[in-house]
Amino acid sequence: MFQGFPEIKEALISNQMQAAFMVAPMAIALRAQGVPIKIVYLGHRYGSAVVVQKNGPVHSFADLKGRIVAVPSRYSDERLILFRAMAANGMSARDLRLVEMAPPDVAGALAAGAIDAFSMGEPYPSQAESAGFGRVLFHARQYWPDFISCVLVVRQDVIDRRPEAVQVLVDGIARSGLWLENPPKRRARREHAADFVGRFYYRQDPKLLKWALTKPLERVQYQPLTPLRKDFELIVRLMRETGVLDHDIAFEDYVDPRFAEGAKHETEWRYEPGDASAE
Amino acid sequence: MRKIGVAVAAWLAFITAAHLSMNVDWKVLLNDRLPERERKLNVAYIPVT
Repeated sequence: MFQGFPEIKEALISNQMQAAFMVAPMAIALRAQGVPIKIVYLGHRYGSAVVVQKNGPVHSFADLKGRIVAVPSRYSDERLILFRAMAANGMSARDLRLVEMAPPDVAGALAAGAIDAFSMGEPYPSQAESAGFGRVLFHARQYWPDFISCVLVVRQDVIDRRPEAVQVLVDGIARSGLWLENPPKRRARREHAADFVGRFYYRQDPKLLKWALTKPLERVQYQPLTPLRKDFELIVRLMRETGVLDHDIAFEDYVDPRFAEGAKHETEWRYEPGDASAE
Repeated sequence: MRKIGVAVAAWLAFITAAHLSMNVDWKVLLNDRLPERERKLNVAYIPVT
């Protein structure tokens, strides 16, 4: 587990890590700079929001003018969503003061008044909301239907030498997504996932993850996770427009869709809360 | 003097054992020594969705 995307980038480049979940624009930028990686799947859809101080003066996007807004990275969809919102509200890049901040730090910074707002993935919007000092100004889907944030990237040498291992990884994520989105069991399974992910993986309060996964259930979605050309071409266009990508890059250069294709016939994990293992 | 030497040696042994058990990820070390085809992939993430 890492605490920021720059560290993940370095671990991936140095082969300390062979795969990583990272924000989509960072993956595209790395590929555009010649780093041998490919996006093979999505981590989730939606699950990002802009949060302001609960009792503060910001009640509309226009109220953010001149204020400090934290984003996880200049290469993040959470930054791009702000540009989409600015365009929709007749504002320009000079109207916001964007600062980069490690995701785990933003809720504390908002509570302390060091920033006026943050644009971040869950569970940090939930953290600010549930603790009583933050208010969601808008969820990403309001300005960006089909919003995606974190993607799964894999080193090219691993894709070339061990495609079967990459397929196992992608199949597992696909099956987890299907398991979480099973309509009649959605809430119970998300609550169970919040409990074991919080305790054994994220080292976070399960109540916080339960909030992020269930208030409402559509806050974060885990299907469909296939990387689609139209979604990524929009990200590349926004990156070009906002100055974080200096040349166009073809979808095929940074996405390898065969693993998502291979996972299309997967079914959800056979596992219910209390089972000793999943099949 | 001999008692002090034994105590220091015991303390060093305890600290070393505690360090090796708490701060070294043996699963990762053992995984790195496996043949490539049997090795588990290391997947990086941060605690966000």
